[in-house]
Amino acid sequence: MSELTKPVAPRTTVLGRWRRTLGNLMGTRHGAIGAIILLMLAAVAISAPVVAPYTPLQQTSVSLAPPSSEFLFGTDNIGRDVFSLILYGAQSSLLVGLGAALAALLVGGTIGILAGYFRGPVEAVLMRVIELFQTLPVIMLVLCAVALFGSSFSLLIAAVALAIWPMEARLVYGQYIKLREREFIAAARVADLSTTHIIFREILPNAAQPVIVQVALDASIAILIEAGLGFLGLSDPSMVSWGQLLFVAQDYMDTAWWMSVFPGAAICLAVIGLNLFADGLNEVVDPRSTRGMGGLQ
Amino acid sequence: MLRFILQRALYALPLIFVIIVVMFTLLHLIPGDPVQSLVGDYPVPPAYRAVIEEKYRLNDPFVVQVGNYVVAVLHGDFGFSYQNQRPVLDLILERAPRTILLASVGFAFAIPLGMAIGVVAGTTRNPGTDKFWTTSALIAYAIPTFWLGQLLVMLFALRFGWFPTQGIGPLISRAHGFDWLLEKARYLALPVLAFAIHEGMRFARIMRASVIDTLSQGYIVTARAKGLSRGQIIRNHILRNSSLPLVTIAGYSFGSALGGAVLLETVFTWPGLGLLMVDSIRLRDNLTVIGVVIFSALAVIVMNLIVDILYALLDPRIRTAG
Repeated sequence: MSELTKPVAPRTTVLGRWRRTLGNLMGTRHGAIGAIILLMLAAVAISAPVVAPYTPLQQTSVSLAPPSSEFLFGTDNIGRDVFSLILYGAQSSLLVGLGAALAALLVGGTIGILAGYFRGPVEAVLMRVIELFQTLPVIMLVLCAVALFGSSFSLLIAAVALAIWPMEARLVYGQYIKLREREFIAAARVADLSTTHIIFREILPNAAQPVIVQVALDASIAILIEAGLGFLGLSDPSMVSWGQLLFVAQDYMDTAWWMSVFPGAAICLAVIGLNLFADGLNEVVDPRSTRGMGGLQ
Repeated sequence: MLRFILQRALYALPLIFVIIVVMFTLLHLIPGDPVQSLVGDYPVPPAYRAVIEEKYRLNDPFVVQVGNYVVAVLHGDFGFSYQNQRPVLDLILERAPRTILLASVGFAFAIPLGMAIGVVAGTTRNPGTDKFWTTSALIAYAIPTFWLGQLLVMLFALRFGWFPTQGIGPLISRAHGFDWLLEKARYLALPVLAFAIHEGMRFARIMRASVIDTLSQGYIVTARAKGLSRGQIIRNHILRNSSLPLVTIAGYSFGSALGGAVLLETVFTWPGLGLLMVDSIRLRDNLTVIGVVIFSALAVIVMNLIVDILYALLDPRIRTAG
């Protein structure tokens, strides 16, 4: 077979496109910084049992010790090493962030696709459901779920996902509404391709990029919500989380600033990392969105 | 116009109805026997069970129970909070004004702050200035409000002693008139500051995008061609036209803020609706939890309705489009 007649596999172009996206992402300043922060946090979360000087339950001899060379971030009211706690806390924060964002993608994506592709009565009903969820303040929704059904770790992820899926659904819905009217979809219908094929093989690859950006943003919101729940003392008591550390710190603000400052900074770092990452991704995916800063000359 | 308002109001009604029904259903789904929880750890005498079930109509079909609950809520009866020994509605009405106070003062600072920063960042000739504000907005957005609250308390209340650490006022106050106002202001200062920084930076982001959008409009080019000064263009053209999206979003956020800033109220022990909700969750006082949720949903729906109507009044394109 000559070089010219060799068929070009379409899969590789899709893969190539994503690889290029990744390359471009590291080329943007925000994207690169965000990716580095996230990789660092992931490394911390995974290596916590090895790196942390103490386990989360281990009590040292001194409680409320200020930061020193022995206890980098000080110790808390019952003598636990705050530095170790923060390393372990990265696990639950990242797991909830990732888990809730993916769950929201699954639920929101499915509902968005159904409403956006099939339109008609399906659309009317599903959009009302989305509106219903968006009527309640997010934190109220999560609190309600946790109050009624408890706060084990998996329920916590479900509760956070419950609060953020409508955003994802709206975005996917918008993408499908827009793309289903395009010529290449009309062509696919004329070619008698199955509905599943059109939804997943024709529209999905074209709709995916802004959705991925939203997933990163969702994860940052999920981390903030999880921290909030921990701060209210409603997170899973068997896991260390940054929010929970702030909950304990609330009672020691006058004596132990380090109990509040370091866990809070960790939350900020994770959220900033995810936002920068999403920012860079958005810049790569949708170059028009980076507006010139021309101003009034 | 009247037709538009009616249409919107009719649209909001079923939403309120559905929320009440959903909330009641959730309450119903909670595992546990209500009669048993009244009695405590003792076995329930069958005769007593029969009386209670008759009194609270626990054996009625679910649909009838839902119907009764909806009717009760529409009459303002959210049930009785055993933990507080008071009707839930009383609790809500006592807490709501405090939450409204915090939210109103917070917005009164956050909106002008957001507008000012948004205009400066959007119109500046200096890319450094813009970068500074966009980065600040990014960081402010990532700071959890409750942590910001803790930092402010540690710095301004505990270290400098300028403000009280928590609460809504001293236990016993003899201040009158202006002194009373000043005293209130000292308690409000830190919660409002935390609120204004957080929301203000979010508003700044929105305002900046809106300003940049406005700058590309034809009438700005015309205004410049007419030889108007930079200040005149900003005041007369940009500020007015860019504020609309901000005011809309602020209006919607105000609705959710009325339901109680749960986290902020907890940091400062501000006894509003948010704190009521958190306390009720800890005490497993489900009727109160659901009462607060219904109340805050109502606040959001009514506020959205008002924003939509105001928007339609300001922008005729909206009401003719539907």
